[in-house]
Amino acid sequence: MTADAVFPVVLSLRVAALALAIAAPAGLALALVQARARYRLRRAVDALILLPLVLPPSVIGFFLILVFGRRGPLGMILERTVGLRVIFTPTAAVIASAVVALPLLVKTAQPAIEAVPAELEAVARTLGLSPLAVVLRVTLPAAWRGVLAAIALGFARALGEFGATLMFAGNLPGRTNTMPLEIFTAYQMGDDGRAALYVGVLTLVSLGVVLAASRLGPRLLAP
Amino acid sequence: MTAAPALDAQLSFAVGDVAPRFHVDARLALDAGVLVLFGPSGAGKTLTLKALAGLVEVDSGHVRTSGETLMDTARGLRVPVHRRRIGYVPQHQTLFPFLDVAGNVAFGLPRSLRRGPRVTGWLEELGIAHLASKRPELLSGGERQRVALARALAVEPRLLLLDEPFASIDEAGRRLLGALVREIVRRHDLPTLLVTHDAAEAEALGDRLVRFERGRTMETGAPSDVLGPARRTVRGTVVSVERVDGGTARARLVDAEVVGPAEQVKEGPLEVHEQGSARERTGVDGA
Repeated sequence: MTADAVFPVVLSLRVAALALAIAAPAGLALALVQARARYRLRRAVDALILLPLVLPPSVIGFFLILVFGRRGPLGMILERTVGLRVIFTPTAAVIASAVVALPLLVKTAQPAIEAVPAELEAVARTLGLSPLAVVLRVTLPAAWRGVLAAIALGFARALGEFGATLMFAGNLPGRTNTMPLEIFTAYQMGDDGRAALYVGVLTLVSLGVVLAASRLGPRLLAP
Repeated sequence: MTAAPALDAQLSFAVGDVAPRFHVDARLALDAGVLVLFGPSGAGKTLTLKALAGLVEVDSGHVRTSGETLMDTARGLRVPVHRRRIGYVPQHQTLFPFLDVAGNVAFGLPRSLRRGPRVTGWLEELGIAHLASKRPELLSGGERQRVALARALAVEPRLLLLDEPFASIDEAGRRLLGALVREIVRRHDLPTLLVTHDAAEAEALGDRLVRFERGRTMETGAPSDVLGPARRTVRGTVVSVERVDGGTARARLVDAEVVGPAEQVKEGPLEVHEQGSARERTGVDGA
């Protein structure tokens, strides 16, 4: 493969990995809160978490532009303070992928965390563990299958992100053309061979990830 | 022994999301040794243990162990659970499934002590050294409770809370482990609270006994005084009867069990005015 052909593969993997670096800690923290805490706005937060799963990716892309665009609140702050322009950069692709991966992560990890007996955590506290230590040494290890499945699915979703990335990060060759975007471009230009290459790579990687996740097996994914 | 009592606690709180909420009002005092929390299911014994450990919010009251105040609502003082050093062995299996026996026992220790004599010492003291590398799911009920006890004891608590620790163990194992626990807490001079609704167990293991009824602590005293003869009447339909030995028989009722003189314990409607060695124990576990 030429460097030009390899670029989208490497970019996609990097974007998905970085997206996961944001979405996994955030998603697990949200799953913990939603599984264990009882507070007034719990349902509202739940709905908000689910939203990216049901909204069309173009809508998510639009929202991201509103927030991170040059006139968006966060976009302005980032540009003025650290001189970082997000829109139409690989960073934008990472943010878009993280946002769409988040609900899948939370919703896969949450039931696994809920299934950890609260008594297990109570005993750990009486043994001298701080609340954070309880999460790290009891809750997450006890729910490890669900947590790993959540991370695997989150990665697959981030890898396949298309619509929001197209809107928010653009489709700039050699810069933001991830595999899903490259498939679209190649197909439109009649280069079916090139499109098929990335279709193959994405299908294989995603299939592997989903199989691994279902082996880890929270009920959600059991056949 | 210190001059201050091992435990002096007064707890008042309510639990439940919907009315009527369940109110617990408990007074506990123990100079040293084993205090038995005795009473029927749902009398608030387990909740009281949890409140002592700090696992349940208390509306008002105080907890003092050997002169040290762990909680006092009047002074706005509340030591968090993980700094109370109160050992807690719940009724249900609570071993960490992702760790072996030794890992479970070492769980509460600082990293540097997890592979040391402290762990092996407790494994030996509870007779589970040969199980050190076994996973919890391969253990019997009695073995699991030994591991849970070793895990609680390894962090050297100032007070030990045992919530029906022998409930899932057969009769013989229950007596054996009961005697072992009794011996261990004596040897280590460790004040202990034991929840049970088994009168025989209460008498065998307790130095003091406090009776619970509908969330309230009633009288406290020596187990034989509080449980006393001919105090309660058991009525119910007998499900089965078996001879224990010569003159004693055990009758299982729909939700209770009676051990007593064979001529009294027989099939059909039953009414036992408890006397002598006849004892009643309810069968369902606590709330």
